[in-house]
Amino acid sequence: MSVEDWRRKIDEIDRKLVELLNERSHCVVEIGKLKKTDGAPLYQPDRESEVLAGVERANRGPLSSAAIRRLFERILDEARSVERTIMQDEAARKARGE
Amino acid sequence: MVVLMQSGASEEQIQHVIDRLVSLGFDIHRSTGASHTVVGAIGVGPDFDPRDIEVLSGVREVVRVTQPYKLANRAFKAEDTIVHFPNGVCIGGPEIVVAAGPCAVESADQIEIIAARVAELGARILRGGAFKPRTSPYSFQGMGEPGLHLLRQAADRHGLLVVSEIMDASQLPLMQPLVDILQVGARNMQNYHMLRALGAARRPVLLKRGLSATIEELLLAAEYIMSGGNHNVILCERGIRTFETATRNTMDIAALPVIKKLSHLPVFADPSQGTGRRDQVAPMARAALAAGADGLLIEVHNDPERALSDGAQSLYFDQFAKLMSELRMIAPAVGRRLA
Repeated sequence: MSVEDWRRKIDEIDRKLVELLNERSHCVVEIGKLKKTDGAPLYQPDRESEVLAGVERANRGPLSSAAIRRLFERILDEARSVERTIMQDEAARKARGE
Repeated sequence: MVVLMQSGASEEQIQHVIDRLVSLGFDIHRSTGASHTVVGAIGVGPDFDPRDIEVLSGVREVVRVTQPYKLANRAFKAEDTIVHFPNGVCIGGPEIVVAAGPCAVESADQIEIIAARVAELGARILRGGAFKPRTSPYSFQGMGEPGLHLLRQAADRHGLLVVSEIMDASQLPLMQPLVDILQVGARNMQNYHMLRALGAARRPVLLKRGLSATIEELLLAAEYIMSGGNHNVILCERGIRTFETATRNTMDIAALPVIKKLSHLPVFADPSQGTGRRDQVAPMARAALAAGADGLLIEVHNDPERALSDGAQSLYFDQFAKLMSELRMIAPAVGRRLA
């Protein structure tokens, strides 16, 4: 395959990644709503450790465990941010009595 | 804000830091390195005290990325602030504005002779102290209120503006009608009570950098004045205290471009205070203009050897005349002009 062919393949994979990341974010949104109702904290370090350990275990390379860990740390950072927005929106809706 | 964890910080310590930051409302950007974990915090407000995080166990260093000053910050106002005066003089525009005069007003004759000469040579502002903050209590302390009146009268006779130092907030009612620019001396840069009072003043303020103040501290002092509603603040580099003894102070020329980058406020340079020696005033004045100063504060005396204060750093009239003609040649090279 030529460089162009490989790049096309990368573009394809990137689109799938975006789709999957957003699918993951939908779950995060739902969790955010439930957490707000239950009054659970936004940051749950045990759960985040579990996620990171899980993806490291699932890793078959060539990315190192540390690389996978760093990538997923960023995913968790963004998930927390999404969840915060959802929790704030939920709180605002409750305050308006909706 | 960036939180750098110690090498070997435990996962519990890192989680505790993240937990604190999340509960303070920040978004987190965690990055686990080979030896250090770095936690970036996004959405930090200017009133947040980074020491709250610095004291947590396992934290090595906290670095603020955003500056704690807002109104003085160029990030919040990109265009240069220009201070306008009723007689048409503008500070912070294309014209370099020179303020010249004696360190202290000594007599009606003295201030009249000096005002006439500096006006003729192109100065726009007459400087002169009526209240002098001297290092020694036994040195000449200034003429006080009569000195202010003499300064005003001499300036009016020659179409000059007046800048004079205010030493205490209580002097504001006396000074406001008599001066065009209220000067805050280096020793008063962190007199926050007075800075607050100047925030309510209706006159522009020339704020001198303290002897051992960082640029950030200078900008925070400006923030005090501006947060009170007075946005006409002119900053002034006047030399800082270093280990060097050959000069009275070390003129921090580099502070000029640094301040111009960080802030939209106009910046003056005071090479007389900055060096403390007559022979070094002109070279530093030329350098300051070339480095981006919007104006200069220069001590000129009709008889420096008999001056009651700071004679050693006051220029003779012919030296001032020569300096002005040199500055007129430099100004166009940096896109400025001089009256």
